[in-house]
Amino acid sequence: MSEEKDPWGMDKYKFNIPNLPKFKFKKALIFPIIFVIVAIWMLTGIYLVDTNQQAVVKRFGKVARVVGPGPHYHFPYPVEAVNKANVTDVHRLEIGYKSYKNGESRIVEDEAQMLTGDENIVNLDVIVQYRIGDIVEYLYNIEGVVSTIKQVAESSMREIVGKQKIDYILTVGKDEIQIKAHEMIQDILKQYNAGIQIVAVQLQNVNPPNEVVAAFRDVASAREDKSRFINEAEAYANQVIPEARGSAASMILDAEAYREEKVKRAEGDAERFSEILKNYEQSPQLTRKRLYLDKMEDVIGKSDFYVFDSQISDINTFLGLENLKGSVNK
Amino acid sequence: MKKIISIAVVLLILAVMLIGGAFYVVNVDQQVVVTYLGKPVKIIKEPGLYVKIPFLQKTTYFSKKILDYDADPRIVITEDKKNLLLDNYCKWYIAEPLKFYQSVRTTNGAMSRLDDIIYSEIRVELGNHTLTEVIAANRAEIMKNVTAASKKKADEYGIEIVDIRIKRADLPPENEKAVFARMVSERERIAKRYRSEGQEEAKKLRAKADKEKRIILAEAYKKVQQIKGETDAKTIKIYADAYSANESFYVFNKKLEIFNSLSENNKYFLTTQSDIFELLEKGVK
Repeated sequence: MSEEKDPWGMDKYKFNIPNLPKFKFKKALIFPIIFVIVAIWMLTGIYLVDTNQQAVVKRFGKVARVVGPGPHYHFPYPVEAVNKANVTDVHRLEIGYKSYKNGESRIVEDEAQMLTGDENIVNLDVIVQYRIGDIVEYLYNIEGVVSTIKQVAESSMREIVGKQKIDYILTVGKDEIQIKAHEMIQDILKQYNAGIQIVAVQLQNVNPPNEVVAAFRDVASAREDKSRFINEAEAYANQVIPEARGSAASMILDAEAYREEKVKRAEGDAERFSEILKNYEQSPQLTRKRLYLDKMEDVIGKSDFYVFDSQISDINTFLGLENLKGSVNK
Repeated sequence: MKKIISIAVVLLILAVMLIGGAFYVVNVDQQVVVTYLGKPVKIIKEPGLYVKIPFLQKTTYFSKKILDYDADPRIVITEDKKNLLLDNYCKWYIAEPLKFYQSVRTTNGAMSRLDDIIYSEIRVELGNHTLTEVIAANRAEIMKNVTAASKKKADEYGIEIVDIRIKRADLPPENEKAVFARMVSERERIAKRYRSEGQEEAKKLRAKADKEKRIILAEAYKKVQQIKGETDAKTIKIYADAYSANESFYVFNKKLEIFNSLSENNKYFLTTQSDIFELLEKGVK
């Protein structure tokens, strides 16, 4: 160090320390010293670009070149300067909520609440993922890139949500809103030449505000109720109709049985009669008598017969006799 | 010798100062107004290395980037007399640094001008639109109008407005309550509708099932009657065919059969005149 100072303050040193022996060497040393200084100065131009980075080299403020990862060299200050940025990393921006390192997250109500087209209010949580698309634009075109992305995203989300009805947003609209928001955010950022590429816009949660959430839940359960009522009715139908078909079938089978039975019996009766008739006609009188008497015999054996003489004109006096004890019948 | 060296050193220092003061760098995101004794002489928009007269010429740097102006949320009244809490932002840049320098000087100065311009334009424009138009229908167009109008006014400050956008358009808290109440009643209505639709559908389904059941049973009854009718007709014919061969015998025979149907242990009172018991009276003659 003292060697470097010498060329500047050599006169003073000479006066104060007269027998300094270095004075003689000085002329020989001045060039190596300058060389060393220049060498150190030149060495400050070495810089490293990480694998996820790109670097822009400016020469006198003008963009000279963009370089990728690896060791590089630029002319030292003040000729060239380097700005680096992570171009491969995908960054995420949360809108409507804030997640903390311990995994918890909290709604940021001012950001999350949005008015819908039918003047309802919904809470939306969105994640915007982006990466640097053009490092030069990113570095030099716009002030506060991240806050700009956030502004653009909030504005776009609200514009899109403002065009839709709450039911659509809460049910099937999620995908469409994501796609539209993605396009819109990208378009606006392109208009600003922000050098940002939107990777994805994801709707995390779409909820009605806390103040009305119960009413919304009730709608959901009403929808459930509706399908439950219908299911129950369908179950009823599924029970009643097959049962009716069953009894219809049994009625018809019954009738068919009736048919078979009646016809067969009739045929049987007819056949029997014909058979009897065949024999009967050989001696009708005798058979008639015989049949009659046989039957009578049969009948008399099974019941009580009280026979009165035909001369008795009044049988009332005899009636009731059969109830007396030790009655003479049988 | 000593003097020469010391003079040389002083000159060297002076030279360095002069060179340092004579050169200046304009970065890619900067623009410069050069003044000579306070009088603007040059505007530099292209980046690079430039020379000036040291001490006499002064450089003032301005950003060339798109800058942000984010207003505080405030209440704006729409055409239908509703209050809207509006939060907008504006993207702008310094288009003419000299004008800018002469009129507002600094970015902060510019912000307050922008605030005046944008707020008044927004108030005017929103006063011509209803709340629904602002929220839903014409937001983009409204903001385009605001941007265009503000652009003209900002021009005199050397400011170019790129874009003005509504970041948030919410209802003020007191109106919010009314909205929530309406939302709740709307939901209740929808819930009721769902439930009664369910009942309606269920009743229809049940009635349909009952109807079908009755049809099925009636059809079965009809078929049963047909079968039975046919059967009876057939049996009548069978009997008629058979019995017509000898009607009196059929009758006689049937009469005998009827005795089978008499229950047992009956009491019969007969006289000796009856055919079977005649022998009791007559004896054998």
